[in-house]
Amino acid sequence: MQNSQEVKSQLAAEGKVAIIPCAGMDKALGSVARACAFIVVERLRPDKAVLICIPPLVVGAKPYSEIIKKYPVIPIDGCAGRCATKIAVKNGAKIGGRVLIPESVQKYNLKPKSASDIGPEGEKLAEKLAEEIAAEIDRLLGK
Amino acid sequence: MTLATGKVGIICCSGEDLAEGTISRVATRLVLEKLRPDQTVTLCLPLFLAGGEDERAFARVFPTIAVDGCSKKCAEAGTKKYSGKPVATILVSEVMKKYPHLKVKSRERLEPQEMELATKVAEEIAKTVDEILCKTAKK
Repeated sequence: MQNSQEVKSQLAAEGKVAIIPCAGMDKALGSVARACAFIVVERLRPDKAVLICIPPLVVGAKPYSEIIKKYPVIPIDGCAGRCATKIAVKNGAKIGGRVLIPESVQKYNLKPKSASDIGPEGEKLAEKLAEEIAAEIDRLLGK
Repeated sequence: MTLATGKVGIICCSGEDLAEGTISRVATRLVLEKLRPDQTVTLCLPLFLAGGEDERAFARVFPTIAVDGCSKKCAEAGTKKYSGKPVATILVSEVMKKYPHLKVKSRERLEPQEMELATKVAEEIAKTVDEILCKTAKK
């Protein structure tokens, strides 16, 4: 578990991008948002990406607002409601890129199965999106 | 979301910081899809926090249960801030204390032990739903 000290120490490090997945509960694409965020922060760009969890950001349970004001943010939205983007902007984020998963569903023609189990196509979609986000992180950091 | 009587709203944190957030998410889906599909609806916490008026209206009128992964209780705090205090809060980290043999490791993909824990949490949510609906029916 990351504590406040660890989060603050992340602030001290340079060259990060914050990832904010919507993780919406009632749609399969919310589950895809969550899955692709994990791929980015745990496998593809663990040293460059910081995962921002929406609930503690909004209720102020962690100093995430400091991070999103300092580093470019990539919100990952599972639907046209764009909750992740709205919440990021409302909390002072500098938006560096954006992902709207419904557009990617059409682009890749991959349909996740359900919110509980995104299935093989959902997993593949999450991988594709994670690769796009990793490339965007590199672009934002000038690598 | 459709407003209906005799329903309980489940608001889970679904937090990505901890494996317990994943447990809260999976347990909530188990309740919605298998244990109490006709008695529960889920309120999407990000939508709720972003200003979703339907979600907030539901939580003002109908009983809700917050399912939080850790003691920060973000789902409970968010619901309280924008609608009203949830009737009950299920804390995954507290449920875990009852089953010390069940360990959680991954926040990405649940292993059989973690699924067992998610099922235990789901059963606690379902029990709380029944209690709430029973009290509501008596009024």
